[in-house]
Amino acid sequence: MSVDVDVTAEHITRRIASTIDPVFAMIEGWRDVLERELAGPYAGALTGDGEPTAERLDPVVAALVSGELDREGSLITGAGFVAAPGFLADAPWHLAWWLSGSNTFGPGSGLRRLSTVDDPDSEQFRDYTTLEWWRVPARTGTRHLTGPYVDYLCTDDYTVTITTPVRVAGEMVGLVGTDLYVARLEQVLLPVIRESGHPCTLVNASGRIVASTDARRPTGALLRLEGLSEALAPLRDAVTVTDAASLPGGEAVVPCGDTSLALVLEA
Amino acid sequence: MPQATGRADATRAVVFSPLDGAGRAELVEQRLTDAIVSGVLRDGERLPSESELARSLGVAVVTAREALVALRDKGLVHTKRGRDGGSFVTHDRDATTRMVDERVRSLSRIELRDLSLHYAAIAGMAAEIAADRASEDDLASLIEIDARADLATPGGARRAMGRFQLEIAAVSQSPRLVHEELRLQAEAGPLLWLCLREQDSRDRSRAARLEVIEAVRDVQPERARRATTDHIASAVEWLIDEKVRLEQAAAAPAATATARHPEGARP
Repeated sequence: MSVDVDVTAEHITRRIASTIDPVFAMIEGWRDVLERELAGPYAGALTGDGEPTAERLDPVVAALVSGELDREGSLITGAGFVAAPGFLADAPWHLAWWLSGSNTFGPGSGLRRLSTVDDPDSEQFRDYTTLEWWRVPARTGTRHLTGPYVDYLCTDDYTVTITTPVRVAGEMVGLVGTDLYVARLEQVLLPVIRESGHPCTLVNASGRIVASTDARRPTGALLRLEGLSEALAPLRDAVTVTDAASLPGGEAVVPCGDTSLALVLEA
Repeated sequence: MPQATGRADATRAVVFSPLDGAGRAELVEQRLTDAIVSGVLRDGERLPSESELARSLGVAVVTAREALVALRDKGLVHTKRGRDGGSFVTHDRDATTRMVDERVRSLSRIELRDLSLHYAAIAGMAAEIAADRASEDDLASLIEIDARADLATPGGARRAMGRFQLEIAAVSQSPRLVHEELRLQAEAGPLLWLCLREQDSRDRSRAARLEVIEAVRDVQPERARRATTDHIASAVEWLIDEKVRLEQAAAAPAATATARHPEGARP
């Protein structure tokens, strides 16, 4: 028995993509502002001429991200810019990352800066270039959705992080990105995937469950189906796939636009 | 029936019991003492300021100050005035050994076993779920943490243990297990991993870690749990043996004194 990928499935994957696309568009907008600021005819328009420094760039980043972080009902809970090691003259390692008032991590409330340890000699220091949200966009050169994962280094919560490279003269000088709570994402996406009437499960490119209509498929678990890993392989390499694939067990795998998420419809 | 009534009352009473109990300064003091004597905080390391400490621990500034004064009286920190001033960790090997020994003696066997049971419940469950939910990337980072472990010193072995267990909790995808793991690392870690003073125990801790890694690789949740809880059980057995040694050593002078009396001597 196999599932026909009908109009409904295509419709649902499009709606899932359209929930997340505005977030992609937003961070790509931030990227464009920073790239224009760092090179080209408008370089230094906001920060002044000279070498890029954390001191001059931080207020620009804050101004970019604070509007959306403060907005009532926003999907995002954290956002900012992370510099490539050595790019900023005054801060070899630098995270300019802000958390929204709805972010429950750490002391205080309202919009606030994430405090980080930027001294490589400190016991608490963590080389962020080894983490997935840096590693993958650095390799593929394009945006990446990391998670769901427990972000114990930063916000202590169950998170999806979306990041995209910022380039100057073809070189990656850092990335912009944003955090979303998985609980909030599930709340928004579950009603959408329920519409199919089929038991179906939304997974990331590693086959990790983001949301499912089936109570026995918990968010965070790996969906173990024969052939699923192979079907998701192009998504892991940031290749846009539009065609649905069918698995030996009869399930259909439908990519959700270019979000790197896929909907698995079970027989 | 009376018991059931009592139970219902108890669960209700908990709702209105003090949130963190009394003696918050003592709790702060104990937390920092444990971290210093176990080598998690290093000799000469600068502690956060009173206000930073108060903020991050969620206590009043006077509470943080009180705890720092107590640590100074114990000789675990010293304070420098001026621009580069602050509270710095003083790690005096003899003094800290005495202090840990005193702590081990002051807790009953029942308390030590109960603490290890609580920790085994959390760490064992985390390992079980992690073995089912680990991606290739997760497995790689567990292997990496093990490869970086410094087994030559107790402090190095402790830090490796902490990192590995925290990563396992994160791989389980449960923010609550991560929170509990962190909390218990601070509370139970300094006692439970006292065995890492001995090279033998450090080698055994490595073997246990490799066993967990293999179980995760082969998706064997039950084996991952077993390896974790067995390791914790052997650590508490070492601890209780150590407690016996300490108690005997403390009682020894008295025993020698008794032996001098003829009536106290055995035929």
